[in-house]
Amino acid sequence: MNRCKLQFMLPVLAGFALLSACEQTAETDVVSETAAVELPNGMTVKEQIEARQGHLKKIGKAFKAISDQLKAGSPDLAQIQTAAATVPTEAMGMNDWFPEGTGPASGIKTAALPIIWEDKTDFNDKIGAMQDAAAKLDSIAQAGDVAAIGAAFKTTGGTCKACHDKYRKDD
Amino acid sequence: MVWDGALRLVHWLMVALVPLLWWTAEEGHMDWHKSFGLTMFGLVLFRLIWGLIGTWTARFAPMVQRIGSLNIYIKKLRNRDSGATFGHSPLAVLSVFALLLALTAQVTTGLFSVDIDGLESGPLAVLISFETGRQFAAVHELNFNLLLALIGLHITAIAIYYFVLKDRLVEPMVTGHRSRADFPTSDLPENRLQLLPVIAAAALALACVIAISNFG
Repeated sequence: MNRCKLQFMLPVLAGFALLSACEQTAETDVVSETAAVELPNGMTVKEQIEARQGHLKKIGKAFKAISDQLKAGSPDLAQIQTAAATVPTEAMGMNDWFPEGTGPASGIKTAALPIIWEDKTDFNDKIGAMQDAAAKLDSIAQAGDVAAIGAAFKTTGGTCKACHDKYRKDD
Repeated sequence: MVWDGALRLVHWLMVALVPLLWWTAEEGHMDWHKSFGLTMFGLVLFRLIWGLIGTWTARFAPMVQRIGSLNIYIKKLRNRDSGATFGHSPLAVLSVFALLLALTAQVTTGLFSVDIDGLESGPLAVLISFETGRQFAAVHELNFNLLLALIGLHITAIAIYYFVLKDRLVEPMVTGHRSRADFPTSDLPENRLQLLPVIAAAALALACVIAISNFG
């Protein structure tokens, strides 16, 4: 009885073991290979993806700081100005953050959709619009009119969304 | 009178708000989502206060006591006898507590949630960092699935009572009434809606909603 079971189980188990082994080596190889590939700018794919995510997170943080103050009854202008100043800096060179090969096919976790590289001109236009809006937001923030800052903040947020709706995976 | 008017109104408003909140979140209509969410917060708060000072069938203390007869009730159900309960059945008590807990978690995490771009945030997100706000948003999204599952269970149970046990539970939730003859005992607790507690609970819930929406 036991031997019967074993005889039946052995090939199945072996099959599973082989399958999982294949899958593992295949997957990890692909990921580590592309992740370590050096891009023309000298960064590896992994470094590039993490770098842009770091910049974008800092922009998100700055936006929250601005929106927190705009919500407040008496906004702290200094905080808005500091945050608004970081946005154009963090967004600098954004067109260069998405070189070929840094999409989801790299195996590294990224919400960047493959269509970025199908319509790079439109993508870069949208980045340009965001950078312009962010620069304007910064200069308006330094001028200090809260109502104008609110409007510029909305406009800037709109340029973020315009790109994210099309080129970022829904979270 | 099984379900008082305030309880029914709150129940059906919640029913209307859940899909609206879901849709506005999916479509990114965040201004509407926040208004509806704050309304839902007020309704949940009212229901929780109503569980303390409301009518007998709305109050939590008698509901907790009912859990003691859960085994007997389940045995009855197995014999295809729904045994009309005045208010929540022992099984319904568990369902309602789970739903209220999930709703409370949902509205509370919503108050602190921040979107991935830092552009949209709940009224109390000012108090916390971007990262913590993102974690609240993650729980907000996760807990919504739990809420949906519980709502699904709730509707399934109503359907089973309707089709298998021939017990129409939606009717009393609409009209508030159920025939006295349905209940095994005629010695039913006083369950009339009283004006003072309703006003007190509504005022308290409204005050909290206004305080939160003007926070900052």
